[in-house]
Parts: sequence; structure tokens; C-alpha cells
Amino acid sequence: MLPIYRKFLLFLALCIIGTVQLAQAQEKSTINGTIKDKLTGESIMGAVIKIDQLASVVVTSNEYGFYAISLPKGKYVLRISYVGYEEKKITFLLDTPLSIPVFLESKNQLADVVVESKRKDDNLIKAQMGTETLNMKSISKVPVIFGEKDVLKTIQLLPGVKSAGEGNSGFYVRGGAADQNLILLDEAPVYNASHLLGFFSTFNSDAIKDATLIKGNGPAQYGGRLSSVLDVKMKEGNNKNYTVNGGLGLISSRLSIEGPIQEDKSSFILSGRRTYADVFLKATDKFKDNILYFYDFNAKANYKIDAKNRIYFSGYFGKDELGLGSRLRINWGNKTGTIRWNRVVSNKLFLNTSFVYSDYNYNVGLKNGETNFNVNSNIKDINVKQDYTFYMNPKNTIRFGFNSILHTITPSTFSGTVNNNINKVGRNGLENAIYFNNNFKATEKLTLDYGLRVSGYSIMGGDEYNLYDNNIKTSSILLQKSAFGKTYVNVEPRITSNYRINDVSSVKVAYARNVQHLHLLSNATAASPSDQWIGDSYNIKPELADQTSVGYTRNFKNNMYEIGAEIYYKSMLHQLDYKDGTNINTIADVESALLYGVGRAYGFEFLAKKKIGLFTGWISYTLSKTERKIEGINGGNWYNAKQDRTHDVSIVTIVELNSKWSVSGVFVYNTGNAVTFPTGKYSLGGQTIYQYANRNANRMPTYHRLDLSVTYEDKKRKKLVGSWNFSLYNVYGRENAYSISFQDDPLDKSKTQIIQTALFRWVPSVTYNFKF
Amino acid sequence: MYSNKIQYLFLAILFLSSCDKIITLPLKDNDTKVIIEGNITDQPGPYIVKLTRSININEPNIYPTINNAIVVIADNLGFKDTLKYSNEGIYKTKSIRGIYGRTYFLEVSIDGKKYTAQSTMPKKVNLDSLRINIFPINGEIQFSIIPVYTDPIELGNGYRFIQKINDTLDNNYNIFNDNLNNGKVNQRPLNNGNEDLTIKLKDIVSVEMQCISASAQLYFFTLSQQGGAGPGGGTVPTNPPNNIVGGALGLFSAHSSQTKQIQIPVN
Repeated sequence: MLPIYRKFLLFLALCIIGTVQLAQAQEKSTINGTIKDKLTGESIMGAVIKIDQLASVVVTSNEYGFYAISLPKGKYVLRISYVGYEEKKITFLLDTPLSIPVFLESKNQLADVVVESKRKDDNLIKAQMGTETLNMKSISKVPVIFGEKDVLKTIQLLPGVKSAGEGNSGFYVRGGAADQNLILLDEAPVYNASHLLGFFSTFNSDAIKDATLIKGNGPAQYGGRLSSVLDVKMKEGNNKNYTVNGGLGLISSRLSIEGPIQEDKSSFILSGRRTYADVFLKATDKFKDNILYFYDFNAKANYKIDAKNRIYFSGYFGKDELGLGSRLRINWGNKTGTIRWNRVVSNKLFLNTSFVYSDYNYNVGLKNGETNFNVNSNIKDINVKQDYTFYMNPKNTIRFGFNSILHTITPSTFSGTVNNNINKVGRNGLENAIYFNNNFKATEKLTLDYGLRVSGYSIMGGDEYNLYDNNIKTSSILLQKSAFGKTYVNVEPRITSNYRINDVSSVKVAYARNVQHLHLLSNATAASPSDQWIGDSYNIKPELADQTSVGYTRNFKNNMYEIGAEIYYKSMLHQLDYKDGTNINTIADVESALLYGVGRAYGFEFLAKKKIGLFTGWISYTLSKTERKIEGINGGNWYNAKQDRTHDVSIVTIVELNSKWSVSGVFVYNTGNAVTFPTGKYSLGGQTIYQYANRNANRMPTYHRLDLSVTYEDKKRKKLVGSWNFSLYNVYGRENAYSISFQDDPLDKSKTQIIQTALFRWVPSVTYNFKF
Repeated sequence: MYSNKIQYLFLAILFLSSCDKIITLPLKDNDTKVIIEGNITDQPGPYIVKLTRSININEPNIYPTINNAIVVIADNLGFKDTLKYSNEGIYKTKSIRGIYGRTYFLEVSIDGKKYTAQSTMPKKVNLDSLRINIFPINGEIQFSIIPVYTDPIELGNGYRFIQKINDTLDNNYNIFNDNLNNGKVNQRPLNNGNEDLTIKLKDIVSVEMQCISASAQLYFFTLSQQGGAGPGGGTVPTNPPNNIVGGALGLFSAHSSQTKQIQIPVN
């Protein structure tokens, strides 16, 4: 262990010991427990616990529904609330430590809230900034392409989050690149969260409980990416009754089963999904040799060992297949597995230990005449985490822990009748982090959430590492297997403060540093499954981002409406790109072609929500700028990043017409992406060649689109609950530009034609969902 | 290798409805540049240097020629040749010869501004023959041509293939190197055609093989990667890096040249 880690752990230990002694001196005792849904037994994260006798105490349940409060001995009334659930009141006498499980009952769902706010005015209390939690139930009525509800597409409708392209599940947060989002599925990183060229995400909505997006100012337990964390949690499975959920759509179908293994003790959920566009392709003459499908599978089970210990197993497996007869076969997929052990160590100390496995594999098989070969690339993680939550007193909730990941990254390796001259081998890297975070309720009005994360990345052996100076090789280092090379250590301080001005408004200020040790190299302007990950090396330094943001939130009309505005400034160091004309798949050492630079992003985000009533929804607006400056690109001057868009507007509305019918709509409008169009042309060897000036100085045409959807749900029937969803994507059929290309006019070679390709105009879809 | 065309194809299948239309864009005026296209081959001369200027996108493809330049090519053995202006921006050599291993120096002076470039002619690799590769897909038969040659064992060989289908130039850039399959007989077919130009039965296909220098490889490979300007397109387009000092676009290339042709038989 590195000395800096050791010192930090020692410091933590001292903190804890010190506070335990303090607590004992004050004649206090502790109440704790788990908060669950009464009907399904699913634990509830973010439920708010208040105490009538102590107005200043506000505690929220953690990811596993656990809460703990230590109080002076006495009689108290506890109120537990969570949006969409009836408030629960518990009266108790605290003398010796108590453990009280809480079961909340779900309200009649008519007044469903769209983007969940945990408590009606919870937005004013929490210190967290730039954070949104989406609950799958609440996003089910937001229209999306192909009628497949999708968390990745719904988050793109939030301020500061931009879509990577038409119908695409890829996203950019506050000017960050796609690889600067950490996407977690039950703590396991998902390296490629898209199916079917991005039109579907890897998250099957039937298996997902909720997803939390943190836009750069996260607490210290999160780290490893510059821009955001998307923390997706799978359902635990109903531990009271068996239920079956499913959906039949035009492109895909899904089915999931959940239920108790032993009632109240253990439960499981199994969920699967597959597309069947390939079945239609086979039936056509023109496309009968084309292969195009994906499937995925989620499974989770949990077992309550005793009152203090619970264990969870969860896994995901997904695969995409694309093919053209025997000529071409592309497949890729993620596998993840997580084992988690929750342990209530003491009345005030909650521990979760996780073992996480993640694997992303990409394979291309090409057959051409007698040539056939495979290109394979792979990234594999083995991850151990320990996360402690220490409910020190009603004013301080401390989280601390460590995380250790062994990465194995294997770049494109060739097999078959084609061989690469340099035999590329997998590289290992060890990523370590320790962290400490305190949520401190300083006064009744001021809450501080501050912490420190120390992250390290050690280059490991088994490969030869070349050193470059201005892309010229200066020397090389051969590391023996299991030997350690250079270690990068970074300190990442974070603080968020929330000052509640009055009953209806609050101001927040935050600063965070984030560090990223894994980097994505992409051969194309669009996200592609052939993109390659690479870890820190002797040349590649950890990427670094400092983000400062300031926000204001105000509620109106008894918390029915909420408006919020945030401004942010983010500066980024050690950003990567590569030289023109580099083929990252066949080059002997991709590091010989890398270029390094800096980035900056700033913007203003506005969100107005109507949270309660038959008519709900939100309007989001983002004004932003994102630039890069990399030596060797654009003459070393600042240029627009491809995800730079000046204006971004989303309007989402959901109207509950009556208990059966609801109508929803989405309207999006944004400035076109920054692209590089030619400024001129010349002729060489009889071919027209285009001349370019500044990088990304042009814009795609403005993008806008309206989607509508109607849902009919028959709730009256007892056994089988069915719902129909009819949706129309791009209602007014705008031909939004997917690409713009330049070519010689085939009819008159002396002219240049500019061709705009739109992927689709109207996309109607019908989905039938059922539950019994 | 990972052609964006494949991605487009799948997208088109998925939606069966992608729509193309011709648009106009408000493009800014171009910064006119001098374009130098100079070639020295292992074939008998005269060799040609063509000087033109670039134009705006929406202008017709009539490129202004430069006819008042002084163009000199020298080699590393001291031969020096001042080129003679012919017509349409074309300057011709008088005596210099293209030989493998020699380095050629180009110097162009236009209105007092000087542009220089150098290129070394790589060793010739013999083009043994052309083969036809047949591939049936979705009920159609597609043809492509495999140039047969044996890559030498030393690393760094680069090849450019220029394909003509019944005398029509195929605009695809076929730039091969030996990063893969060094020292082996080539089995990789040429990319060919587009919607308007495919190889059909009875077609006569001619293929010119050039053994090119590293700077020419970089120049043409960069061009080949620039699929389209949209988000689904290729790499971000730029002016391909070239070997001309002084701010001109284009390329000066010393390379070998061999041409073979083949006819697609009826059966």
C-alpha cells in the first residue's frame, strides 16, 4: 500500500474513534432500520426521516434503504416520507439502541411525479448539486423512439445533458466527451451502454429501479470520470409475491419475473429482452443475408442472512450482432456481475462490501475471398469496494471507504489469415481510491457536504511501454509481469454547500475536482463499437477536471412548481486526441500518434418543473460553450468540441386525462453540432479534394422534433394489468440532418453537390405492456 | 476497415426510410491556396508538375492555372532540371529520370514566393497479377479485384491502387500498407465503386499500383478516412498532411507505377 493511503486511513480511524468517544459522553442512543415498500419489499433510497421534537434533524435513507439516527435518550415521533408514498408516523421511546424496520405504502398513482423530488421541498435541503434521480415508474410515460422507455434517452431531456445524435443513447454532460461519463449498473462500470448502433441503451427498463445522474459535483465516493456519474440500480425483486412483467413492441419484446425465494427473506428478478428486426430482414429478398439483433439479460437475487447482514447478487449479460452474410460479422457485448454484502456493523455504522466484475468485448470478423480474420478488443475489470456510512450524530453523516480496480485492457488483436506485425498484448493497470465525505448540517439553514478522494493509477507489467517526446520515440520500458511501473496519485477535493434562504428558496455553491485514468480513443466522429480504451501510461497522464458551479432554486405554490438555475465552469487538463491519418486499429503503438491538450466548458442551465397534479412536466434550457485546445490540431488554437451546442431546449409534458388515459409529449430544439465543412476545393489526380479551414467552425442545421404518446392502462382488472402505448416520434416529420456530405454532382461533374441525409421522418410505434 | 458505409447500410436497413436531399449551405469564402501536384515515376518521362489554385465550393470545377512559375526538380546525385511550361498549369521535365532510391527535390517559385518539397522513390514491388473476388450477397453477386503482389519483409511499404472501371476513374482511395501481413502475398481486395459505379460482368477493370513514400501514404490515407462531414461520418476532416513546405496544398510524390487490367468473364 502506498504511504499516502496509509496516512489517510490512519486519519480516518482517528476521526472515528474520536467521535465514538464523544457520542458516549452525551448519553445518547441510536435508532436505525431499513425502509421498504410494503407491497414489494423493495428498499427505498432517499426516503426522508424527520423528527417532530427536533426540527433541524433531516436524515435520508442510503442506497439500501438503511438509516440511523443517534439522539439524546427520550420520547420521539418519527415521520418518514417518500414521494408517491403515504407518510408514516412512528412513536417510540429511545433508551437502549432500537432497530425499527419501516414499510411505506404506495399512494394512488394518479398524481405521479415525473422527475422525482424526494420530498416536496427536498430540493431545498439537499446539499447535492446538479443531481437528478429518475425513477423508472415515473419516466414510463415520456415518449421515446420505438416506444421503448429508456433511462439514457430520458436523461438527455435534462439541462446540461446532450444527446450524441438522432435516437442515440450516447450522451454528453456539461461539455464532457462520451467517455467522461461513468455509467454504473449495480456498481459495475458499463463500458458501452448502447445496443443497435446506439438506438437502444443496455438498460432494460423492466429490470431497473432508478437511475441517478450527478453532473460533476458528486460526493467523494464517486470518481473515475470527469463529467458525470450515472448510477443505475437494478430492482431487487418482489419478496412478497410473484409477478410477471412484459412488453411486446414492434422491434423488441421483454419479459421479467420476480418474486420471493423465501418470503421476506430473499427474492429474485430475472429479466430478458430481444429485438426481432432480423426476422423481418430474413423475409425480404434485398436484406435476407443481413444480421441485426441484440439481446440482454438481467438477473438479481438477495438474501437476508440475519437482521444485520444481507447479501445481493446481480448480473447483466448483453450481446449485439451485426452481419452481412458470411462476409462480415460484428459483435459486441458487456458482462457485469456484482456481489454485495450489507452489514450493520453497529447501530450507527453501515458497511457495504462489493466485488464487481465487468467485461466489454468487441469483435469484428471479416471474410473476403480466401482472406478471413478477426479483430478483437477487450476491457476487463475486477473491482473490490468497501463503503462505510457512519451516522455519527444528527448533524454529521460520514462516508468513507476504498475502491481497488484491476483493469486489463487488450487493444485490437488480429487473428486468422491476417496478422499484425506487432503482437499486441493486454495491459494491466491498478486503480485505487480512498475517500472520506461528510454531510454536515452546520446550522438549520446551512448544509455542507465536503470530502476528499485520493485516487491512484499504477501502470502494471506484461508489456513494453514506449516513451515519446513530440511523437518521437525516445526510449522504452519493458515491465515484467506483475511488476509495477509509474504510479499517478491525485487528490480530489470536493465541497458542496447549500444555504436555505427561506422556506421556498435556496442557494448552492459547489467545487469538485475529478480525475480520469481510462481514456477512449475513437476512430470516428460518432461513437462506434470499435472505439478503444487505453489506460494511463508513461505518456498519457490522468485527465483532470475542476468544476465550479453556483445554483439557485425556488419553489412556488406550496411546492407545486420548482425553478432552478445553475451556472458552471469546468476546466480540463490532459485531454487526448490523435494525429490526422492515424488508424488506431492497425498502428503498432497508438501512443506514437497521440496529441495532448486542454479543454474548457461553461454554461447556464435552467429547469422549471411542475411536480404535482394531473398535468406535470418540465422545461429545460441550456446555454453553453465547450472548447478544446490541443497542440497539433487547428494550429494549436481553441476550437469547438464536436458536442458544443449553444442552445438546447427540452419540454416534457404528461397529462393524466383520467384513470385510464394519459397523453404525453416531448419537444426538443437545439443548435446543430459543431462540424467541419470544406471551405474550398481543388483537383488532384482527377479527383476533387476539399480544402478545410478551422476545425468544427461550422454548424449542422438546427435540430428540432416533437414526439407524442398516448397510454391506455386498464387498472380495474385484478389479475392482469395491461397497458397500450402508442407513440409517434417526430410528429411533424422534420428531416433533421444526420450527416451532410459533399460530392461531385453525378449529372454535372463540374459542380459540387451538398447532400443532407436524414435517418427518418416519422417513426410510429405500438407497445403492449402487461403485469400479473 | 470499419467502413462507415457499413454503418450507413445498417442504419438504412433499420429504418428503410433514410432520406437524402440536396441542400445549400451558407459557406464562407475560401482562402485560396496554391495547389501543387508533382509526380516522378519509374516510367520514362517527361514527368509533370501541375500548378493550380483552389476555389470556392459553389464555383464550377474550373481551377485557375498558374503559368508564370519557375519549377525546378533536382535529385540527390546533383541532376537538375528546370521544367518547361506546357499548358493548363502543366510543367514538364526535360531530362531528369525517375530511379528507385533517389531523392527528388522540387522547388516552385510563384511571384517571388517559394515552395519546396522532397520525396524518395521507394523500391518497386512487382504487381504479379489481378484476381477477381466474387461475393454473393442478398441474391446479388458482387465483384472486386485483388492485386497480387508479395510484400517485402522489411517494414514500411505503402501502396496506392488506382482503379478504372471501363475507363471511368473509381474515386475510392485504396491505400495499403504492411502494418498488417508484412512480408506476405496480398489477399485483400480493393474497395470499389459506389452506387453509380460497380463492377459488372464483362467490365474491363484496370488497376495501377504505385509503391509510395510514407508522406504519400499519410496524405492519401487521411483522405480515405474522411467519409463525411456529419456526426455519422468519418474522422474530422482536415487538409491532409503533405510534404510541401511554404503553405501550398497538394503533394509531390516519387513512386513506381505498374498497370494491369482484367475483364470479368461471363461465367
